[in-house]
Amino acid sequence: MELLKVENLSFTYPGAGKKALEGVSFTLERGSFNLLCGRSGCGKSTLLRLLKRELAPYGERSGEIRYKGAPLEALEPRVSAGEIGFVTQNPEEQIVTDKVWHELAFGLENLGLPQADIRRRVGEMASYFGIQDWYHRDTDGLSGGQKQLLNLAAVMVLQPRLLLLDEPTGQLDPIAAADFMATLQKLNRELGLTILLAEHRLEEVFPIAHRVIAMEEGAILSDAPPRETAAALRGQPLAQGLPSACRIWSGLGAAEPCPMTVGEGREFLEAGYGSRRGARVCPPAAAPGEPVLEAEHIWFRYAREAPDVLRDLSLSLRRGEIFSVLGGNGTGKTTTLGVLSGLDRPYRGQVLLEGKKLRDWRGTSLYRGKLALLPQNPKTLFLRPTLREDLEEQLRAMEIPREAWPRKVAELADRLGLEDFLARHPYDLSGGEQQKCALGRLLLTEPQVLLLDEPTKGLDADFKNRFAGLLGDLRDRGKAILLVTHDVEFAAQVSDRCGLFFDGQLISQGPPQEFFSANNFYTTAASRISRTLFPNAVLCREVVALCQGETL
Amino acid sequence: MNAFSKVHPGVASVYFLGILLFSMFVMNPVLELLTLLGGLLFCSSLPGDKKGLGGYFGMILIMALVNPLFSHNGVTPLFFMNGNAVTLEALAYGAAMGVMLGGVLLWCRSFSLLMTSEKLVYLVGRGCPKLAVVLSSALRYVPMLKRQARRVERAQRAAGLFGPDNRADRLRASLRVWAVLVSWSLENGVETARSMAARGYGLRGRTNYGNVSFTLRDGVLLGVVAALSGGVLAGLLAGELAFSWYPALVWREPGPLGAGSYVCFGALALLPVCLEWEERIRWNYSRSKI
Repeated sequence: MELLKVENLSFTYPGAGKKALEGVSFTLERGSFNLLCGRSGCGKSTLLRLLKRELAPYGERSGEIRYKGAPLEALEPRVSAGEIGFVTQNPEEQIVTDKVWHELAFGLENLGLPQADIRRRVGEMASYFGIQDWYHRDTDGLSGGQKQLLNLAAVMVLQPRLLLLDEPTGQLDPIAAADFMATLQKLNRELGLTILLAEHRLEEVFPIAHRVIAMEEGAILSDAPPRETAAALRGQPLAQGLPSACRIWSGLGAAEPCPMTVGEGREFLEAGYGSRRGARVCPPAAAPGEPVLEAEHIWFRYAREAPDVLRDLSLSLRRGEIFSVLGGNGTGKTTTLGVLSGLDRPYRGQVLLEGKKLRDWRGTSLYRGKLALLPQNPKTLFLRPTLREDLEEQLRAMEIPREAWPRKVAELADRLGLEDFLARHPYDLSGGEQQKCALGRLLLTEPQVLLLDEPTKGLDADFKNRFAGLLGDLRDRGKAILLVTHDVEFAAQVSDRCGLFFDGQLISQGPPQEFFSANNFYTTAASRISRTLFPNAVLCREVVALCQGETL
Repeated sequence: MNAFSKVHPGVASVYFLGILLFSMFVMNPVLELLTLLGGLLFCSSLPGDKKGLGGYFGMILIMALVNPLFSHNGVTPLFFMNGNAVTLEALAYGAAMGVMLGGVLLWCRSFSLLMTSEKLVYLVGRGCPKLAVVLSSALRYVPMLKRQARRVERAQRAAGLFGPDNRADRLRASLRVWAVLVSWSLENGVETARSMAARGYGLRGRTNYGNVSFTLRDGVLLGVVAALSGGVLAGLLAGELAFSWYPALVWREPGPLGAGSYVCFGALALLPVCLEWEERIRWNYSRSKI
């Protein structure tokens, strides 16, 4: 039975020449788990917001949306607010109140439920989500994963029939994201909740969805169960974001049905490519440059009584290499960047930049021309109403004569492909675009060492690939790049060396092929799929090449 | 967890208000001393830092010593300083002011420890549910803004935008951080507003939920507070609590009504401590039965 039916929906934002959505039609069955995928800016968010009346953007709309057979506009306000739930990407910005319990009660207060009913429903929901332990806490002190779970619970107390989610795990680390997805699946299975989920991170969620709606340029590209979708997307740019098993299958052009999970992928390879067993990837023997940034036996804590965050950390970063530091949440990766960039001072040990202690770099000499840090949230870098002014601000700080500004800006824009963004407000750009602009601004300082904090958070597969290309380009120009990330796949793709951060120090490091093939859990899906055949292949591209008998 | 923290915030507010009004507007040494004693006992039974409590006595002493330097009223000179009389009355009045101030501060401190933000939000929400949301989101907003300010400042510093040595640079830097925070808040506000609308904010007939409920115990307590306050008020209106500081200290011998008033106020000031003791006794008793 259908819960929601969208017929020939088109939408144009005011002043925009192009339609954001064009001729979109689909239905959502009751109790189904539907995945909406597509690249950033393909109209996913617009579509989702049109389905939630309270959030519908202004613009010109045609076509029809029917909820339980009735037009969406004709719904009672109470029904509309309660029965259609919505969760967005940023965990922080959705929280309204200061206490966890109050956040849970907020929606019910709005609906005007009496105290006793609110108490029962809130209690029930807190128990179901395992929130009792932090029920009385301030919302501000929660972790990102807890915040997002709270947002979901705060919507679920309204007992929605349809749940719309717009990239809900975009800002979460992999563990929290997996928890969140597991909760969604549980809601779908146990409560029969109908879910429409827009997501970039497809590795885990793609196989469990009942149906996948793929969008491109505001139109629906395919609308089918996951296996058929994988077949339909073969060769399309969108296929870059599919689970590793699908990508390997797609790259090999195999005729068998598409494998979805790591286990199926392994079966598929064993059955078809067993003869290639034992083939190895030979990583390019990179000539190591001289070390630029060295940390020696660093100890750091935030306050006298606080525990040590960094414990005897040593690492060295060489010219012309990309070094990825991986590790779980709260292990001190971001703190490491704080110390390496000189923003935080270790109480023991020292950091050397080009052989000179960080604290001996006077004034701004360190941050102008030597070292730059890309913060986790690129929004913190933007100061001005347009990107161009922002870049000019940076040039002013670099004391570059005003005549040279237009040329410098044009050069940078050309190199990074920022031309379209120059006149726009940085906040209006998508997460990936912001990341690129922020990187662009830092490049104006002409740093030798670039430190990046979670640069791929919330980016889609296509954007990640382009970002990887950009970093590779910088490396080839002799920059030293250190990035801390949760994103195993990205690290495997771009790095020359990877290291695992645990308990305040780097416990293992090496080239990605070596590093990831030695890890059993903390490794790429491609490596997990192929390790019985190929001992050191870590990327889908490598697996495909080895299967096809190429030597790498 | 203090016994008094379980009392309904409405009842607790009425109680605090009563204590503060009596001690501030009735300059009677017995009442002031009882307020101080009650406040001291209450405050020290609450969790939190107790180091500062000694400071209140220092303050009382200073008030007692300073008042005679400025006020030379009174008929009982103790000695002369620079040709001015230092009188017993002024000394006594200063001490009483000190005790009053110390007592009031102690009670205010207890109040702020007990009336957590959520209780305040609840009380406000009883009258105006919309205001409660505003208050609650403001409470959430402040730490968030502080954190964001730090992030922006660090990001800008590491981008080489302002040096630590240049004073003009630093001023410009803080202006910039401020500007970023403003646009960030606006942006953030839009998202929060959407989240509120999505959950039905703005529908008619919003209710107010709190983790508290008005129990029989709260009702009884409110009755006790009202009765005790009535007792004090009766004595006050009858003039039994009058005390004259200048020109001479005149203490009105309390009649039965006055004595009753003093007892009532004493009971009122020691109420939280009594509740705490009652709870401890109950706990020990229930333990002994296991």
